[in-house]
Amino acid sequence: MQTATLTGNEPKKSLIHTRSGFLAMTGVLLIIMLLSAGAAVSFGQVEIPISQSYRILLHQITGIQIGDPADLASGSFVDIIWKIRLPRVLLAMFIGAGLTLCGTIMQAAVQNPLADPYILGISSGASLGATFAILVGFGSIGFLGQTGIAFWAFAGAVGASLLVLMLASSGGKMTSVKLVLAGMVINALCTAFANFIVYFANNAEGIKTVTFWTMGSLAAASWDKLPLISIVIVLSVAFFLLQSRVLNTMLLGDEAAVTLGINLSVYRRAYLVVSALITGVMVASCGMIGFVGLIIPHMVRGLVGSDHRRLLPTSVLCGAIFLIWTDVIARTIVPNVELPIGIITALIGAPLFMYMLVKKGYAFGGKS
Amino acid sequence: MNLNVDRLCVSFADAHIVNEVSVQVKNKQFVGLIGPNGCGKSTLLKSIYKVIKPREGEVLLGDINVIKANPKQVSRKLGVVGQFNELSFDFTVQEMVMMGRTPHKGLLETDSSDDYRIVEAALAKVNLASYANRSYNSLSGGEKQRVILARTLAQQPEFMILDEPTNHLDIKYQLQILSIVRKLDIGILAALHDLTLAAEYCDYLYVMKEGRVVAKGEPEQILTKELIAEVFDVDCEIYRNPVTGGLGIAYLQAGGM
Repeated sequence: MQTATLTGNEPKKSLIHTRSGFLAMTGVLLIIMLLSAGAAVSFGQVEIPISQSYRILLHQITGIQIGDPADLASGSFVDIIWKIRLPRVLLAMFIGAGLTLCGTIMQAAVQNPLADPYILGISSGASLGATFAILVGFGSIGFLGQTGIAFWAFAGAVGASLLVLMLASSGGKMTSVKLVLAGMVINALCTAFANFIVYFANNAEGIKTVTFWTMGSLAAASWDKLPLISIVIVLSVAFFLLQSRVLNTMLLGDEAAVTLGINLSVYRRAYLVVSALITGVMVASCGMIGFVGLIIPHMVRGLVGSDHRRLLPTSVLCGAIFLIWTDVIARTIVPNVELPIGIITALIGAPLFMYMLVKKGYAFGGKS
Repeated sequence: MNLNVDRLCVSFADAHIVNEVSVQVKNKQFVGLIGPNGCGKSTLLKSIYKVIKPREGEVLLGDINVIKANPKQVSRKLGVVGQFNELSFDFTVQEMVMMGRTPHKGLLETDSSDDYRIVEAALAKVNLASYANRSYNSLSGGEKQRVILARTLAQQPEFMILDEPTNHLDIKYQLQILSIVRKLDIGILAALHDLTLAAEYCDYLYVMKEGRVVAKGEPEQILTKELIAEVFDVDCEIYRNPVTGGLGIAYLQAGGM
């Protein structure tokens, strides 16, 4: 092909579909995310003025002093913000990004806009692992007794997804229908086992922990939990950004993808394993938080389309912003009570999802 | 680019769907594959374009051993237009056609202005130049099929397989798609339903029945009323169309009625 100047008869595009428009939007979202994180530390049982929160954060991070140095260096506000709220807000940010990432990837992998870690049974595996650790435990079996809930949730997530993959690829080719069905089966199985354990557990405190845990909470956030989760999520976002072309062809179906040079069954398996790992890490640190992976990619697709080169960065940022503010709501909506964040995401997510169903007339088999 | 399919066998469980079928496409010919429903022509094509793994046999495209080669290497040379399917996710027409560039792209490569020009040219070729920003799912069947053809054109293949590409299309679009493809000046292997169209567009025909090639040759020579009666179970008369000068088939009655 000879190079020639692009002529003016190129079709007009909306602003976000041009490269510079898209970069600008991503930049704005990134700034909104950081500002949200800064603002979110102001909310909670102790109200801290937003301007003061920003000043404290700026001082802690860069050493720049604005205003009265006395309230920057010491005082209870500094401790609340730096030791309690900031790690929690950052955890919300990473978990929001990770949940959205997993949802987007799984939806592409099974070519079904309804897929997320819950539908594919991965979360129920994590939940079973945690229930087992809390109510049965390995107290007397040496080193296993040392392992916490987090480890067992993680093991459950990975175990469940391996089972789903095995079940879905039995009898030859793995198809998206078989995957979704296998997810349902594993989901039912894990839930049944978990309920069995809960039913026979003679441990009221433990059952309360399990319940709280299945509802999802960011309350356990601390600085020492952040490195693992942030590294896992940043790396996996980077990994999947590199895979955008493959993800795009995935949406065309197996046959079309092969004719475009991509053998989906290999990639699908790899993507699902990576998503299971991320889900395991996330569920281990904050329990089950539903609907984020389902709702955010849906909404962002309406805005930027299905091309993963635009969809992935946009939805990951939107997911992070969404969960930061959802957590603020969870902390403040009922005075002196902290609601599990899973309740809030479902309360916001389900009606939004309903609205989208009605408005767009989604038919999940294909036609829309 | 030449295609050489040598004694290909495909079976599912105990059913032999394709039995020792050999097909050659040489010198940029347009070769047609005809036969009744279930004769194995689609299965044969799918095993050539790597969706189905054949039990035995060899497929050579130029010097690429298609069955052993990795899909990316094959997809740089071989384009496929299948029957259109519905998508659960929507793309714009331009995004859809741009995916035809996938085989030529590395991990981090972005779409260059060349890619955009190739996409634009492909859309112009199928008469959809003004559709670039339309949503794919909102198009009619004929338009969708032309978008798929444009995507295959954007792939810039040296050989093309058409798997009953004109099913469910208006006659206008059937003719349009076959003429576009014919003008490409590359080797083509196409499964076709319509015998008259096959006679008009193909340089050479393979006739399949029950998983085997039962006849092959130039359309004029092999499309006889005896062959059509035997393969398709339909009585007919062959005549020369007084208007086009081409081969005409007057169907009389299905056999056994």
